[in-house]
Amino acid sequence: MVNVMKGVLVECDPAMKQFLLHLDETLALGRKFILQDLDETHLFISADIVETLQGRVDDLMDQLSIPVHEKGL
Amino acid sequence: MADDDTPSDSSLLVIIVDTNPNQRYITEDPKILTNCLDAVIGFANSHLMQKARNELAVIGCHFHKSEYLYPSPGKPLDVRQIDGQYELFALVEKTIKMRLVNLVKSQPQEDKPGESLLAGAVAMALCFIAKIRRECPPGLRMTSRILIVTGSSDTAAQYINYMNVFFTAQKQQVLIDVCSLDKHLSLLQQGCDITGGLYLKVPTLDGLLQYLLWVFLPESSERGKLVLPGRGRVDYRAACFCHRELLTIGYVCSVCLSVFCKFSPICTTCHTVFKIGGPLPIKPKKKKMKI
Amino acid sequence: MTESSKSKSSSLNLNPSPTLQCKDLHEYLKSRSPQFLETLYNYPTICLAVYRELPELARHFVIRLLFVEQPVPQAVVTSWVSQTYAKEQAKSCEALSELLVWQEAPIPGGMPGWMLAQSFKKNLKVALLGGGRPWSMSSSLEPDGKARDVAFLDAYALERWECVLHYMVGSAQTEGISADAVRILLHAGLMTRDAEDGSAVITRAGFQFLLLSTSKQVWLFLQHYLHTAEKRSLSAAECLAFLYQLSFSTLGKDYSTEGMSNNMLVFLQHLREFGLVYQRKRKAGRFYPTRLALNMARGDSTGPPAGVGPGAARGYILVETNYRVYAYTQTSLQVALLGLFTELLYRFPNLVVGVLTRESLRAALRGGITAAQVLRYLQQHAHPRLLAAEPGAQPGLPPTVVDQIKLWESERNRFTYTEGVVYNQFLSQADFVVLRDHAKLQGVLTWQNERSRTMVVTRQGHDDVKKFWKRYSKTS
Repeated sequence: MVNVMKGVLVECDPAMKQFLLHLDETLALGRKFILQDLDETHLFISADIVETLQGRVDDLMDQLSIPVHEKGL
Repeated sequence: MADDDTPSDSSLLVIIVDTNPNQRYITEDPKILTNCLDAVIGFANSHLMQKARNELAVIGCHFHKSEYLYPSPGKPLDVRQIDGQYELFALVEKTIKMRLVNLVKSQPQEDKPGESLLAGAVAMALCFIAKIRRECPPGLRMTSRILIVTGSSDTAAQYINYMNVFFTAQKQQVLIDVCSLDKHLSLLQQGCDITGGLYLKVPTLDGLLQYLLWVFLPESSERGKLVLPGRGRVDYRAACFCHRELLTIGYVCSVCLSVFCKFSPICTTCHTVFKIGGPLPIKPKKKKMKI
Repeated sequence: MTESSKSKSSSLNLNPSPTLQCKDLHEYLKSRSPQFLETLYNYPTICLAVYRELPELARHFVIRLLFVEQPVPQAVVTSWVSQTYAKEQAKSCEALSELLVWQEAPIPGGMPGWMLAQSFKKNLKVALLGGGRPWSMSSSLEPDGKARDVAFLDAYALERWECVLHYMVGSAQTEGISADAVRILLHAGLMTRDAEDGSAVITRAGFQFLLLSTSKQVWLFLQHYLHTAEKRSLSAAECLAFLYQLSFSTLGKDYSTEGMSNNMLVFLQHLREFGLVYQRKRKAGRFYPTRLALNMARGDSTGPPAGVGPGAARGYILVETNYRVYAYTQTSLQVALLGLFTELLYRFPNLVVGVLTRESLRAALRGGITAAQVLRYLQQHAHPRLLAAEPGAQPGLPPTVVDQIKLWESERNRFTYTEGVVYNQFLSQADFVVLRDHAKLQGVLTWQNERSRTMVVTRQGHDDVKKFWKRYSKTS
């Protein structure tokens, strides 16, 4: 028999995939959301988590970025 | 996606039409000139049709002077299109025909037609291109080329003038294309080769428009993509400055690089006096062999 | 082996504020029916406009085939292009087929050939060489006693068009825009009715609209006009043909309204309102096309601002390598636009200083504005000083800023989401292969791995694949 699951396929670079795995393991979004780990650059996740996830990734990017200019005169 | 279109280039084409009445194909059948002219006008309009920003100039080259056939100096003609032809195209056609008639009428009747002043016409074309380039707004990438349509035969009388305009064109990155209607033109072919343009001698005057459209319509960036006639072998013989004859081997002034077919003790161009006459002494050769 | 698809799913709200789509003529025509195209190709002006929009190689194909009466073998057309550019050649051929400029025609001997569509060929020839019927607006006219010069027309066009734009941002000058124009703005989704008081307010798409070049704005606006025109029993084909006639007319020349149908006269009045044509009086019997109408067909946006936009629209923005943006402007519209993606620091009577920051740009990106749009806006309105090449320096925007803006955008796109259904735990390799090949054939497979016997199909393809699987498992 075949198992069928609905969700969202995510394609990203390996580093970001590790970040997602980390979020999944530490239950940072409140629950587990990865349905299946497909390969280095692909994950299959549940559809309802996408928006929360997007916000979380934005937060990460905010922490990573360094201002490129000086404010003021 | 319309949102990431590349900057649109404009292409400037200057066509030089040789209208000299002593061209062989005209003396044989004067009516052919009209056909050729129609083909050139059709080609000119096809060039304008390619892109909205394309520019055009047509220069008529006669034996007594060269003149702009399009655009006409002063106010453009008031043309209302009558048969569905794009107004600009109609304007081009009418202007060229009207001004050509004026040019032919202005030719001195008593003189026997001499050689067409092609080098002068190319110089005019280069001036026109320089003017348009100066006026063109910053940021617009424009390519320019010159097309010479002629049935005159090759003479070396204007050799120096030719070389001057060819190298100027090369420096200005202007392509020179040549469409020969009658004979093989080795001097102009050199010009094409120097500037990276195309040279074509049409086998027959029937279907001239097709030849023009096929070979000369693509602009330089497109030429690499299409299969077009190759350069072939270019005859790079220079003309001597004394008799204007094409030479394979000649004498060159070591100061100004003028070419002569016969040895003369004083260079006629820069007046350098050459002390040694005749063959070189044999002594230095022997020295070389010892080393 | 990975089959990946970059297509973003639409049913799930993965991309909350879609980028404003601005189709060019090519895409607009592609989306219309073949019958509509067929009618359009009866107008020489449209043929000319379509010709100019074709890819460069396609233009040469057309011109080479223009005077050929019988079909030309496809292999011959292929041989015109050198092997290295086969890809571009394929694209050009596709464009020609999509627009029905040429059709496949068999050649005696069974080889496939190409032949230009009859009406397109005929009317392109008419446009190029003449020999057809005159355009509708070219009846001869007495010289105009009060002829208008180019500068006047430019000023007029600019004023009318800015009127529309100012209305959109809700500036004080809200008079002079008709109900029709408002309806088009609403229809296009550029504005929307406020839930509370029913007044029209600008949408996110509207802001993106404002970032476009003037010629694109006009074109997009008119596209929506044509959509609504069909509902008002105006023929879209006729309107489009007339528009292109305008765009191929000469600036500063007057044209006659004689012999124009009532519908077209109504259309002309609308164009007059938006500033595409100038008419002194409604019944003047003559009109002057403005630069807005002329530039519409050019469609190019990245060209230099001077002389292309309506006269006065000169570049006013300077961008420095330290991400500072200086804009010499006084109009609130331009300041508001700049505020969309920069952090404004100072405002002087004739100068606004802002700085491009990650936050300010991300705010714009979140609003659906793309980095390309921002860059193009900056480029388009760049101060002539910025565009003029200094010796030793590259003209245009500083490359560091351009790259950084692109990086800020791509950092948001580290993920591609594709809605789909995963199939796994197949019992046998054969089952997996059969189902995978079926999905691949249907074009719904997005990812598969043979070793783990897992595959992902799109949501749309799921039903079909499921049915196939049921049939398959019954028979085997």
